[in-house]
Order: sequence, then C-alpha cells, then structure tokens
Amino acid sequence: MDWLATTREAFALLFSGDADLWQVILISLRVSLLAMLIATPPAIAFGYLLATASFPGRRLIVVTTQGLLASPTVVVGLILYLLLSRQGIFGSLKLLFTQEAMIIGQVLIALPVLVAFTISAVQGADPRARETAVSLGASRMRSTWTTLLEVRFGVMAAVFNAFGRIVSEVGCSLMVGGNIAGVTRNIPTAIALETSKGEFAQGIALGFVLLLVALGVNFALAFAQGEGGMK
Amino acid sequence: MSGPILVVEGIHKSYGTRRILDVPVLTLAAGESYVLTGENGSGKSTLLRVLAGLEHAEVVACRYDGRPVDLGNYPDWLRRDLIYVHQHPYLFRGSIFDNICYGLRARGLIKASYEPLVREAIAWAGVGALLDVPPHKLSGGEKQRVALARARVLQPRIFLLDEPTANLDAEARQQAIKLISDLCDANRTVVLACHDREIIELPRMNRLNMGRGAIETWNGGAVCV
Repeated sequence: MDWLATTREAFALLFSGDADLWQVILISLRVSLLAMLIATPPAIAFGYLLATASFPGRRLIVVTTQGLLASPTVVVGLILYLLLSRQGIFGSLKLLFTQEAMIIGQVLIALPVLVAFTISAVQGADPRARETAVSLGASRMRSTWTTLLEVRFGVMAAVFNAFGRIVSEVGCSLMVGGNIAGVTRNIPTAIALETSKGEFAQGIALGFVLLLVALGVNFALAFAQGEGGMK
Repeated sequence: MSGPILVVEGIHKSYGTRRILDVPVLTLAAGESYVLTGENGSGKSTLLRVLAGLEHAEVVACRYDGRPVDLGNYPDWLRRDLIYVHQHPYLFRGSIFDNICYGLRARGLIKASYEPLVREAIAWAGVGALLDVPPHKLSGGEKQRVALARARVLQPRIFLLDEPTANLDAEARQQAIKLISDLCDANRTVVLACHDREIIELPRMNRLNMGRGAIETWNGGAVCV
C-alpha cells in the first residue's frame, strides 16, 4: 500500500466536501453532543451529591462508579442490545439500530466518567468556598452553584473527558447502531468498516477528523484553564 | 448594657473523649463587642463556627432576639443577620466587586439597588484601588479588607470574625484594626476570636477568656452561670 498516496486521497476526500464522509462526521457529532447534553446535568448534580453528602451506601456507589470508568464499551453495547432487541424488556420501543439507541449507549458510557471526575473536582474544592457562600446567605442551590463554579475547570475536565470517550468509542455504537450508512454510521464504526474493506483513504480521513476533535477538546480545556494550562 | 440579642445554653462538643466545647451559657448583648481569647485549641474558632451554623454541636437551647432557634437546623433568616468571616478569607473567582456584592445578589437585590451599597463598602474598606486586581493576587491584608467589606455591606446585626489580624504585616494589621474598630462603634454586635492586644484593648470590648472549650473568665472576672 502506498501510504503517501492514500493519505493524499484521504485529505482530498475530506476537503472536497465528500457527502458520505461529512454525513458520517455529522452523525458522530450529533449523537455524541446530544448524549453529553443529556448526561451532563444529572451526572454533575449526582457527583456533587456524592462528594458532599453522607448517606448509607455512598461509599459503595462511589467505588462502583469508579469501577465503571474502565467498563468496556462493547459490554455496555451488549447489555443495551439485549434490552432493546425484540425479545428484550424495551424491545417494543423499536430503538435498536437507531441513533436514539446510540445516544442511550453513549449516555451510559459518559455517566461514570462525568460522575467520577465531578466527585474528584468537588472533593478538591476549598471547603471555605461553600462556607463563605452559605455564611453570606446563599441558598443551598446557590451555594452548590458557587462551589461548582469555583471548581469549574475540574468539572470541564469531566465533560471533555466524557466527550472524548464517547466520540471515539466503537463497541457500543456498532452493537446498538448497526453501522447503517446515513443513519447510524459514525466516525469510529465507519473507520472499522472502511479499514476492513481495505478502503484506507476514508479511514484515514475520518481518523484525522477524530484526532482533530480529540485535540480540539484538549486545547479548549487547556485554554479555558488559563494559567493552569496554555498560558 | 443593651438587651440580649443571642442567648445560647449548653453548648457541648467533643471528639471522642476530647472536650472541644463546654459552655453552659453564652449571652451576647445587642451592640456590644466581644473578644474571645485563649490558647490555640481552646475552642474560640469552634465556638464562632457553631454560632455561624458551620459546625455542629449539641446545644440545649438558643434564642435570637427572643425567638427560639435550632442551631442544628440553621434557619436562613438567621444567616441574614449573622455573618462569619474566616481567618483566611476565601474570595470567589471573578472581580472584587462581584465578591462584595455576592451576598446582596444572593438576597435577590438588583444591580441598581446594590451598586451604591457596594461602592460605599468599597470606600469604607479602602479597596477601591484593588478593583481590577484578580482576587487570588491580593495580599492577606487586602483579602481581609475585602472580606470585611463583603460582610459589612450586608448590614448584619452580628459579626463573627475569626482571627482577623493573624498573619498580617504591621500596615495591613492597622488597616484591619481600624475597620474592626469602626464595626464595633457602629452599634453592631461583634464577636472576635483574637490574640491581638490592640483589639483586646479596644474601648467597650468585653473579653472572654477560653480554656479547654470553656469560657474561664469574663472581663477578667469569674463566669457566673
């Protein structure tokens, strides 16, 4: 295989506005961004609760969440497949091989990342931040919001890490999405398919986009952190 | 002496067998100033934090302005009358102006109504020149002045100040003492945990000496329970 020619072909595909290629990219971003929109608010709230509250079973939940960080995405996909398949509990919803199923899968993959990183960020907060807010008359909701703002770089790291994990996962998307062209084919599943067919140019082009997304997310975090990052 | 504004009976706190607080009764009069003295670990800061609702202790009874209060379930209305300032004040990210108006915003005031109050507090604390400086770049004394302005702008009836002059250089200490003296003269109830002789000797300052969690002497005399 001529790597140089293949790479040149990949960039030509990318910058010529190849409709199929850009559809794959848009599906990927749409599914992952929607999954993040759904997962982020409850995960941050739950992470804050686990970091600050004391209740029976809290430790078990924290350890389980941390354990789920390493859960293989293909296993999440398998479980979801069984639940959504015709014989599954949610089979009547007819969600299998739809973008909705991929979104559900990515939400499940993102949740432990968001919760675990939020716990870590909030536990690392200066306790005087919440105490000061409370002492100045802030309500519980406002003092919570203030504390989260004080540790926003940690929370942003949670969001970017979760996005990085779901936008590049292949196992779950393949299992519950089915890799249907124009419907559920996203960047990782398309790379797997094109490579298996020997179509390396499209695989490289999509890989390049995925790499750009991952790098962009990291640069965004570093810039947002200011002195702690790029400055 | 004015009538009592806060009366707390039977304050007890311990870690295992170690007694942290054991105060049979604490009565604070409206408009009076109190300084808690005593060695490190005598319970001064813990007492302030319990009164501020930031730390839990067993309390037999508490009355604020004649109204029963459960310090374990600290009411929001009491927070509006009683402000605690840390030894090393925490300033939120954002501007100094945002920090000073934080409590006013939390009370739902709109900018038009709180801005004059904040400007007045900034002038009072002499922090006008610091408004463009990021909070994390302020010195300890400057942070203390911003924190005092942030507390005063809310016009609470009781100030609880934890070691406000500790670790400050001579100039910053004098500036802080001047502000504290102002608060004491403004007919507010001020309670300080402090070792600073100049604060202890401020006019009308009541001295409560603490040891091993208990108030041992009151203005040099024995405590009457």
